[in-house]
Amino acid sequence: MKRIARLALALGTAMLMTSTVHAEQKTFKIWWFEEPTTAQGIVWKKALEEFKTKHPDITVSFEQKTFQQLQASGGMILNSDQAPDVLEYNKGNATAGLVASQGLLTNLDDYVKKEGWDKILNEGDFVLSRYDEKGIYGSGPVWGVSVFGEYVSCFYNIDMFEKAGLKPPTTLEEWVADMEAFKQKGLTPLALGAIDTSGQHLLASLAYTKADDAWVQNYQGLKAPLDGAPYLYAAQTLVDWVGKGYINKDSTGMKDPDAALLFTSGKAPMYVSGTWNLGTFASTIKDFKWGQFVIPTPKYSVGSTGNLWVVPKGSKNPDLAAEWISLTLSPKYQAELGNAGGVPIAADLSAITNPIGKNAAAVFKQISDKSGLGFYPDWPVPGYYDVLNQKDTGLFQGSLTAEQFVEQIKQIYDDAQENQ
Amino acid sequence: MAISSQRWSDGSRSYSLYLIPGAVGFILIVLIPQLANLGLSFTAWKGVGTPRPVGLQNYSRLLTDDQFWGSMYHTLLFIVSMTVIPVCIGLVLAALLFDYVRDQFGEWVSSFFRAGFYLPQILPVTVAGVLWGWILNPVGVINITLKSIGLDNLAQNWIGDATYALAAVSLVIVWIQVGYCLVVFMAGLSRIDPSLYEAAELDGANWWSRLVTITIPLLAPEIFVVVLTTLIAALKVFAPIFVITAGGPDNSTLVPSYLTYYHFFTTQRVGYAAAIAVVQTTLTIGLAVIFLRFQSQQEAKE
Amino acid sequence: MAYSVLSDGTTKARATAAADRARRDPMRWVVLATLILLLAFTLFPFFLALLNAVKASAEYAVGGPLSIPRSIDLTAIEKFWTVSDFSRKLLNSLVISLGVSVLGVLISLFNAYAIGVGKVPGSRVILVVFLLGIMVPQESIIYPLYYMAKASGLYDTQLSVIIIFAVLQSAFGTYLLSTVLSTFPKEILEAAEMDGSTHWKTLWFVVVPMLRPTLMVLGTFFFIWTWNEFLIPLVMLVSNNNQTVSVAMGLTRGQNMSDPVLQASAAFLGIIPTVIFFLIFQRTLTRGIAAGAVK
Repeated sequence: MKRIARLALALGTAMLMTSTVHAEQKTFKIWWFEEPTTAQGIVWKKALEEFKTKHPDITVSFEQKTFQQLQASGGMILNSDQAPDVLEYNKGNATAGLVASQGLLTNLDDYVKKEGWDKILNEGDFVLSRYDEKGIYGSGPVWGVSVFGEYVSCFYNIDMFEKAGLKPPTTLEEWVADMEAFKQKGLTPLALGAIDTSGQHLLASLAYTKADDAWVQNYQGLKAPLDGAPYLYAAQTLVDWVGKGYINKDSTGMKDPDAALLFTSGKAPMYVSGTWNLGTFASTIKDFKWGQFVIPTPKYSVGSTGNLWVVPKGSKNPDLAAEWISLTLSPKYQAELGNAGGVPIAADLSAITNPIGKNAAAVFKQISDKSGLGFYPDWPVPGYYDVLNQKDTGLFQGSLTAEQFVEQIKQIYDDAQENQ
Repeated sequence: MAISSQRWSDGSRSYSLYLIPGAVGFILIVLIPQLANLGLSFTAWKGVGTPRPVGLQNYSRLLTDDQFWGSMYHTLLFIVSMTVIPVCIGLVLAALLFDYVRDQFGEWVSSFFRAGFYLPQILPVTVAGVLWGWILNPVGVINITLKSIGLDNLAQNWIGDATYALAAVSLVIVWIQVGYCLVVFMAGLSRIDPSLYEAAELDGANWWSRLVTITIPLLAPEIFVVVLTTLIAALKVFAPIFVITAGGPDNSTLVPSYLTYYHFFTTQRVGYAAAIAVVQTTLTIGLAVIFLRFQSQQEAKE
Repeated sequence: MAYSVLSDGTTKARATAAADRARRDPMRWVVLATLILLLAFTLFPFFLALLNAVKASAEYAVGGPLSIPRSIDLTAIEKFWTVSDFSRKLLNSLVISLGVSVLGVLISLFNAYAIGVGKVPGSRVILVVFLLGIMVPQESIIYPLYYMAKASGLYDTQLSVIIIFAVLQSAFGTYLLSTVLSTFPKEILEAAEMDGSTHWKTLWFVVVPMLRPTLMVLGTFFFIWTWNEFLIPLVMLVSNNNQTVSVAMGLTRGQNMSDPVLQASAAFLGIIPTVIFFLIFQRTLTRGIAAGAVK
């Protein structure tokens, strides 16, 4: 036993020493948590190579992080010496807003002008980059820059639609009619992961069919007690759809990967989820043609500008960080993002050859140009994501009526609204 | 009874010296952070910046928090699946493998089974959650099997239906916990003098009565340890619930640790989370003290 | 209560006598069958993991987790290995788990010696106090530990994780060992006393040899529990170079998506070391019992 102890001690000390030695020459540390197989992961890797050749005298150190780590301890890392020079950070009050209001990030206003980002991005693209001293989005200095976009739509199986003689719907009534037609054939039309994001996103999408500008701004900005009407409509519609069999009652036992599986295996003709699925669908769906249609709403869709590049307060190379941001925002890499099947925030559509990326970029531009990005339903209140999940399952299972559902989510929303 | 001090060459007081490494570690890693946590429970804090003192506000809030009381109730239910069932199954299996299987089939077979039953302990819980999700989800292994043998009216929404969710998670918890009980009990069984079993066998006692009259009383130390530790683990249980049902459906499987995690890291209401943790820890300590007193009473009877 | 001394003679005698009597028990096949069924049920999820680790993503997308892969596709395993720099993570996990295992057992042993054998005054209270280590929910000590680690320069080092877990795990170890040691035969200790032994010598030459199976079990537990620990390493270890296997598992879950085939591969790779460790120590354990001759 003693020999093992000594060996372990030796190994441990060796590990300790290697882990605490820092390079003395100039190092540029960059982190992101987009997975290597996503469009962002692929394109940014290429961009990083170009960045390295542009700066041969600097050691460029990249670390592939996980969303989980940054979510749980992002604030702690930014508050320490271990923070890098630039990193990807989740947008929103609870994440970017919080650390911005604590003085942990570098103000990027000067760089915006210097690097010309305001020429590439419109004010709408900067909405989630700005946070005030309380950490609320929308106003204040620019603390981060978004270079890609995301939105929720309905993925559909083109082959199944054609076989049933149906066309992708442009109104809500048409959508319901399509679902009824599939139901008649004995299929459950809509795959849903009710204990996961797709449940909430469908709920929010339906709420947005009844939402106007004032409602969305008040809702996301936590400006007033919750006006439950859009959610009531959404909840009633969902209960109705479950009752008619458009959505499986058992979807409360399914997570997104399970629901996505129903779609990719050809069992369900439709699946409401976000553009983050594009990469996986493109590489794994070989048996049928598929596409997306936008959920018919007057203006707002669930979606937002993507995660932000932020520069920690203690960054030793803010200029290089700004250069990196400009690189990923450049026309070349924006087009690359589209070609990799991702959703660039400001690409020249004619430069994109990949049909999936081109379509996604076009749809995003369309929504963004009319200021129709409604963001996500769980943003206003920290922890609302879990609340919505829990209440969704109650709604689907029938243990909560639509009125009770709205009452309960309203209670928590109003509580947070009062106490901010 | 302590051995008299005069005869030891370094005096019996020097036993206390052995407590020093443990004490130092304890103060640094447990005591100070716990005191800090206690202090935090009287503040409102977002995890960065300076905490704002709010007196007893977090605690008064706790008293009216339905989620909190619901979570405490669910914990009681999880005690059954984390302590009672695994200990019983573990005892029977340990006696079976050690006493019966070893005789009938040999050491190797017995060890093989022990390793196999222990394997669930080795799996990271997040992974176990995914794998069991494949088994328990509405189109998972259980329901598909039931349908294929014509029993589809028994197929349920195991995870997503409040009636069954608790049972589903409990199943996974039992699956994980049995291995731990089994291994500790089998290690303990090796202490027992086999001649006791021999004598019993010669008297005509069968395997079951050997278990009840010899094994269980002699395994008392291990049983006490396992019961107390699984009890404490039951009060702290978090990961299996987090990965399988996420506390749902509609908070029907919520437990205190899930609530503290939620408020520590998701809502960033660190002060409130600290208060929940204080209450949780205090209850656990209370339970442990009662249990230990019971244990030493039993030992004194010997 | 009888605390027995095993000797080879007794064991052999038992084996022969028992064997003659028991070998013809017809029930044994029923028992074996039941056990095998139970084992199959227990190991089924692992089988699922293996099945999906060697499946191509495209096949999963069509057939789901229950389909039999048409061919063995190792791309997911390879992908996880390279993206997570798995060999490095393995080494880190090994160092940390071994470190905790050894340090934790030592601390537990010292504590238990004082409490169980030495019966220092206030033993019961001391035991409860130490037991606090397993009662505290980890979330409640993370923030203070983070600040302490930053202040002492141990933030983002493996040493911080080793110390933390050695102390936390030793709570259990202290309890287990002191319970077992409190029933240690007084005659043997008194005999050592007579020989003029010191506490230290008695500990290492009399107590430890008899305690070996329990110490091995404890060390194995600590290794496995630490290997699967995830929250504290996630927070304390920032640089990828320092992270452990359990933290690397987070790579399979993105912000919005998780890759089931990748998760299965990660699961498969992640448990192999612990299984090997357990099998090694299981053999030592049984050898210890069989040879356990203590005079």
